[in-house]
Amino acid sequence: MTQPLYEVRDVSKSYGSVIALSGVSLKIHAGEVIGLVGDNGAGKSTLVKVLSGAHQPSEGTVILEGTERKWNSPHDALVAGVETLYQDSGLAPHLSVSANVFLGRERYVKGLLGKLGFLAQKEMDRVAHENLDRVGIAVPQSNRSVSQLSGGQRQAVAIGRAVSWASKVIILDEPTNHLGARQAGEVLSVIKAAKERGLGVIFISHTLPHVLQVTDRIVVLRLGKIVADAPTSTFDAESLLGTITGLID
Amino acid sequence: MSNLVNRAKSIAGNQQALLLLVLIAMIAFFTSRNSIFFSNAVFGNIISDWAPIVLIAIGETFVIISGGIDLSVGSTVAISGVVAAFSMRSLTEHGHGSTQTLIVGFFVSVATGILVGAINAFLITKTNVVPFIATLVTMGAGSGLAIVFTGGGPIGGGPDAAIQLSVPKVGPFSYPGLAIVALVIVLGFFLHKARFGRYIYAIGSNEFAARAAGINTKAYLAKIYILSGALAGMAGYYYYLRLGCGAPTSGLGGELQAIAAVVIGGAALSGGEGRISGTVLGALILTTVTSGLIIINVAANWKQVVVAILIAAAVLLQEARAKGSSSKLLSNLFKKKN
Amino acid sequence: MATLRHKAVKVLAVAVAASFAVAGISTPAQAANKYTIAFVMGAESDPFFQAMKLGAEQEAAAKGVTLVWQGDPSVYSPATQNPILDQVLALKPNGLVLIPTDPTALQAGHDKAIAAGIPVVNVDTHVNDTTKAVSFITGDNADGGAKAADTLAKAIGYKKGKTYKVVVGLTSATATTNVGRLNGFAAQIKKSYPGITIVDKAYSQSQPSVANTNVSNWLTKYPDLAGIFAIDGTNAAGAAAALQAKGLVGKIKLIGYDAYPANVDLIKKGVFTALIAQDPAAEARLAIDYLVATLDKDKAGIAKIKHDVVIPNVVLTAKSSAADLKKYTYVAK
Ligand SMILES: Nc1ncnc2c1ncn2[C@@H]1O[C@H](COP(=O)(O)OP(=O)(O)OP(=O)(O)O)[C@@H](O)[C@H]1O
Ligand SMILES: [Mg+2]
Repeated sequence: MTQPLYEVRDVSKSYGSVIALSGVSLKIHAGEVIGLVGDNGAGKSTLVKVLSGAHQPSEGTVILEGTERKWNSPHDALVAGVETLYQDSGLAPHLSVSANVFLGRERYVKGLLGKLGFLAQKEMDRVAHENLDRVGIAVPQSNRSVSQLSGGQRQAVAIGRAVSWASKVIILDEPTNHLGARQAGEVLSVIKAAKERGLGVIFISHTLPHVLQVTDRIVVLRLGKIVADAPTSTFDAESLLGTITGLID
Repeated sequence: MSNLVNRAKSIAGNQQALLLLVLIAMIAFFTSRNSIFFSNAVFGNIISDWAPIVLIAIGETFVIISGGIDLSVGSTVAISGVVAAFSMRSLTEHGHGSTQTLIVGFFVSVATGILVGAINAFLITKTNVVPFIATLVTMGAGSGLAIVFTGGGPIGGGPDAAIQLSVPKVGPFSYPGLAIVALVIVLGFFLHKARFGRYIYAIGSNEFAARAAGINTKAYLAKIYILSGALAGMAGYYYYLRLGCGAPTSGLGGELQAIAAVVIGGAALSGGEGRISGTVLGALILTTVTSGLIIINVAANWKQVVVAILIAAAVLLQEARAKGSSSKLLSNLFKKKN
Repeated sequence: MATLRHKAVKVLAVAVAASFAVAGISTPAQAANKYTIAFVMGAESDPFFQAMKLGAEQEAAAKGVTLVWQGDPSVYSPATQNPILDQVLALKPNGLVLIPTDPTALQAGHDKAIAAGIPVVNVDTHVNDTTKAVSFITGDNADGGAKAADTLAKAIGYKKGKTYKVVVGLTSATATTNVGRLNGFAAQIKKSYPGITIVDKAYSQSQPSVANTNVSNWLTKYPDLAGIFAIDGTNAAGAAAALQAKGLVGKIKLIGYDAYPANVDLIKKGVFTALIAQDPAAEARLAIDYLVATLDKDKAGIAKIKHDVVIPNVVLTAKSSAADLKKYTYVAK
């Protein structure tokens, strides 16, 4: 088998006395979509934070393309090509769509003013629109403020932003939460498009049909431990639910 | 009629236009009560009150957009003016020329402001004290020290040329007043057109998102509290020029004036919102009310009432805008009148 | 090595002594001095009290008295003064000089001291019932206001039958000093200068910059203004700056109050026509003299004690002698 794109080995994380993750190992390959499922409090978001550099694991290693990495901040992971859409969206509602898409990656005008940090706003508006379009997300105007968008549109922008910047891995923590059926469908097609581009996708959701629909492999977390890691084809709705709740071991 | 409603709607959506209307209405009102109000001399008085207020209010705008608050600006005005006054008195006593002394005094004043800002920045970003408490501490310490240093009285004995610098030369503007206008414009560009401002909005809007996007939020927060301190230091120096002395009570309550100007200007105390032009107009409205009430013989206590009404109106408008219904609110008002 | 350690000990001793001095509560009953007299005053920050402190220190040194000087750093309020008074009484001073921040709230503490056998002098302000106090010594605010009216009338060349406009800059509508001075000023004008009208009044909340705004606008509003009475030090500073900025120095007569050094300098430059000064140092000196006489049971000294003493204000002008200007200038840093 080829070298995994992104990997964690024997990762543990505790918050004080709460052990959120213990001895978790996970691999993802380019062009693969992994579903990460588990009950509330199983440790999914904690694992996401370790993968995205928001938290450092108490124990264990993070390996990107065969090299061990230590993320000091989400920015480190970002620069290395690992994009994350956090549960409870990470957008700045007062900023425009394009300002959000380009947050932390602004483009500047040419010359001295650019050196002083003056922004090429028109260019960013245009490119943000193109990027969102490219990953299959239609947002009316990229200079509108995010607070004026509907919940679904906001989610779409957040996903679009993550997908359009990701060069290696994209992690989506409950991206279909609060979405209507149609928008959820759109998110799933964005995931498929990302897979086509050769990205590794980690998809966290409580909506099991969605997970079964788009993933190649499913990893089940229970009480901070991985209890199942198998191709999606080996699960059906019932067995997946049983594994999550612990009725099936 | 519907045309009028539409126009009213678009104005209600635009805080700056609304503030301009309020300002024009005030000028018209005061002038109608005493025509002497509409004179270069009175405008000169208004602008020379406005200059130091707008300085601290601009600093406060940056801070409030970032989701913080700076209660120490008034005290910083006092302490920096006093420290500058001591240094200028000492230089004058040692026979240094007036120009040289004034230049040194400016830098001493700004440096003192930066020092207070740096203490705020340290408390907020390194020891994680919330801005309200951190700046409350420096506010108390600053005004206390200003009184201890001076024994309560104004400190004079500096260069005689100081007061002359505060005299209007270009219309209602003194030369330092013009410099302040230029500075405000430059800061406006940095807030609205450059990365510095973009990140401050992002931090005030969603600090987690800003951090996740790789923004060094603490470094930016530190910068804005230092900026706010520096601007307060400039305001302290401006008061020195105006009074020819450094008084430990100059700038007293300045933080409330600054916050009032920012809120009237349309910023939200919860962060992420606000514009320099709004603050500029907010401060101008405050100082216009001050001079206007003196000119038309109304007790100064009414100023507080007028300011309270303006703040309430600004906040109501903001609520309405947040619900996307400012135009609805206004058209309802119009309907009731019909 | 030994000398080094010796030096270190000395430094330490000085540091400890200094910290006591900073704490302000020096231990009473020091061997050298026969009495300890405590001053419990309003607000340390006020130059008025700084000047009073200087007078007290001089007189205490001259009379061989240990001085305890206590008050809130900046707040003039019974809420902060009462606990300070209690603390000072716990030190059992031989005599007490009280500058009560409130006539009612400080009565109990005042009486408690007397009950403990400590003679009390009220200075500057007084408690409601001073019958048991040795004396009440104060500057006269109404007299100061009247003197300001006389000086201003003379400066504007007051003539019967002519009309003159003047304005008064105040700090607050309720501060007793402001009220006393304003009443004295207005009464004197009514009595002796009916042609003068007070056309405007405004409050500065102790801020020279606010006073400056008030006066600047008055100067525009009343092009024929004859004079300004600035009722205290901060108003004086603000008004002086406004006259200088508008180029009206000498044209509009300015009577200020309180001899802050910065203001005294401006007498010499002609910005102030006159400054009315109180003599807080004299109040303090007299209070100490009265207490020492009482404690010494010195019959001759006691005979000279008056129960109510009013120390008159002085009018400082460019014609005042340099010695007088120096004497009455409030000490400041
Ligand atoms: N910041 C924190 N401090 C303390 N405990 C935490 C913290 N974050 C998470 N936990 C605990 O760690 C465990 C795992 O939480 P986590 O958020 O990873 O669960 P999850 O699988 O994402 O759940 P959900 O489906 O509800 O999002 C839980 O017991 C949770 O209470
Ligand atoms: Mg979660």
